[in-house]
Amino acid sequence: MPRIAVRGAGKRYGELQVFRGLDLSVGQREIVALVGPSGCGKTTFLRCLDGLIPMSEGEIVVDGKPINGPLPRTAMVFQHFGLLPWKTVRGNVAYGLDLAGASKAEIRERVPHFIQLVGLAGFEDAYPYQLSGGMQQRCGLARALAVEPDLLLMDEPFASVDAQTREILQFELLRIWRMRPTSMIFVTHSIEEAVLMGDRVIVLKGRPSGVAEIVEVDLPRPRTRATLASPRFAQLREHVWNILMDEARRAEFELER
Amino acid sequence: MLRSDARWVRWATYALSALGGAVLWELGGRGASPAIFSPFSASMERLVEMLRTGELGAGLAGSLALFFAGLGLALVTALPFGLLLARAPLVRAAVSDAILLLYAMPMVALIPFILSLMGVDFGAKVIVVFLFCFFPILYNTVEGARSIKPELIEVARAFRSSEWAIWRDIMVPGAFPYAMTGVRQAIGRGLVGMVAAEFFLSASGIGQLIMTSARNFDTAGLFATVLIIALLGSALMALGRALEDRFTLWRGGGR
Ligand SMILES: Nc1ncnc2c1ncn2[C@@H]1O[C@H](COP(=O)(O)OP(=O)(O)OP(=O)(O)O)[C@@H](O)[C@H]1O
Ligand SMILES: [Mg+2]
Repeated sequence: MPRIAVRGAGKRYGELQVFRGLDLSVGQREIVALVGPSGCGKTTFLRCLDGLIPMSEGEIVVDGKPINGPLPRTAMVFQHFGLLPWKTVRGNVAYGLDLAGASKAEIRERVPHFIQLVGLAGFEDAYPYQLSGGMQQRCGLARALAVEPDLLLMDEPFASVDAQTREILQFELLRIWRMRPTSMIFVTHSIEEAVLMGDRVIVLKGRPSGVAEIVEVDLPRPRTRATLASPRFAQLREHVWNILMDEARRAEFELER
Repeated sequence: MLRSDARWVRWATYALSALGGAVLWELGGRGASPAIFSPFSASMERLVEMLRTGELGAGLAGSLALFFAGLGLALVTALPFGLLLARAPLVRAAVSDAILLLYAMPMVALIPFILSLMGVDFGAKVIVVFLFCFFPILYNTVEGARSIKPELIEVARAFRSSEWAIWRDIMVPGAFPYAMTGVRQAIGRGLVGMVAAEFFLSASGIGQLIMTSARNFDTAGLFATVLIIALLGSALMALGRALEDRFTLWRGGGR
């Protein structure tokens, strides 16, 4: 039985129907990647899933219970980072732990570990204004990982980091996940990243958007840099690309040329 | 080359500027009629004398008691009220125009009303100082709380923060710099309120010293007292600024 079941989910902001009729599920130890064009409602969907905003239609069941309000043992990495400007890196990484009721000793022990993990060692006492965008994003990642959640909601967590760091973090995240496999929803608009991370890739499309296709990623784990070079990876990437690049957009593209 | 951030350079600049001010005051005072203006030296002599007789000390003590009672009352009411308004948008919508109106209104206009309502004793004067201080603190605290990004509240909710923790982690630190700007404004306005109360309700403290000096054509005493108020005001403002800076390192930059 899947851990998360989404049935007929829809969200409207006044006149604007963002998505409609979403059906999907996430398994106990599954990484589901969510791709779709900008503005198709990926962030909005994560917000609904985490119970931060109400849905307009449909239902989301997590661990057998319909959600009402923010989920326990869940952590979100925000597209907007969402660091508290008045807390240092150390304070921000400790934030979630503190709210989850961790002891002082526990916080002292775990925080440096996760700071190290995202490559922010040496910046423990820096305030967010002293960090680059990519560093802020990594700080947000450390904050989410530190609470060791059972459900990780990642909203384009690597969008602001450079290509090399991005690759390092992707494999680092996969390594962490292997040590402690949990449910993860990974939003990205990089097709490569979706295929690399996900057990399945859910492709959103249309206006209002809906699930265009669910692509099973049958690449073996652990996935490494070699995965990126495999023919199957290239095939899957092309496949997802073609779903997103449908007739309408092809036509649009021709017109512009 | 002189580094302008060297400590002694700053002090020398400061001392020179103070000296220049004193010289100007001295020259101006010598040129003017003693009934209107008094030179620096005479004012300093009178200042020392007033200190020795204790009249300045007593006056200052009375005024400061009044000032801090009013400011303190404003702090403990305006800060919580301001944060509360920020978390309760409906209430805020209802009262924000009224707050702006009262913030912009010169409080001196209310003094006759306080006088007839509360009389002229210490309590009435505290209320005057309170009114001068309350609205700048309230107004700025509300502005500060409103400046907090809604995303941060969302983050707090996603981490299942309690309402109390939202106040501790987000509302209070986020509103703090603005609130301190309000406190500094309140210090300036509160001093005006203090002297106004001492002039118009019943003569006491520094206000009384000023009025007595003026009535006796003791121009030197008058200016000595005015100087003391000015110094007091700047010392309190500097204190407010130091507190603000101490707690807002996170804003960064050469603000
Ligand atoms: N609070 C809101 N009120 C009204 N409309 C909103 C709100 N939040 C998002 N929208 C709209 O909903 C749509 C989806 O937004 P969302 O942020 O979920 O997109 P996204 O898929 O995450 O895009 P991106 O890839 O650029 O992050 C957009 O058209 C946006 O304008
Ligand atoms: Mg988004």
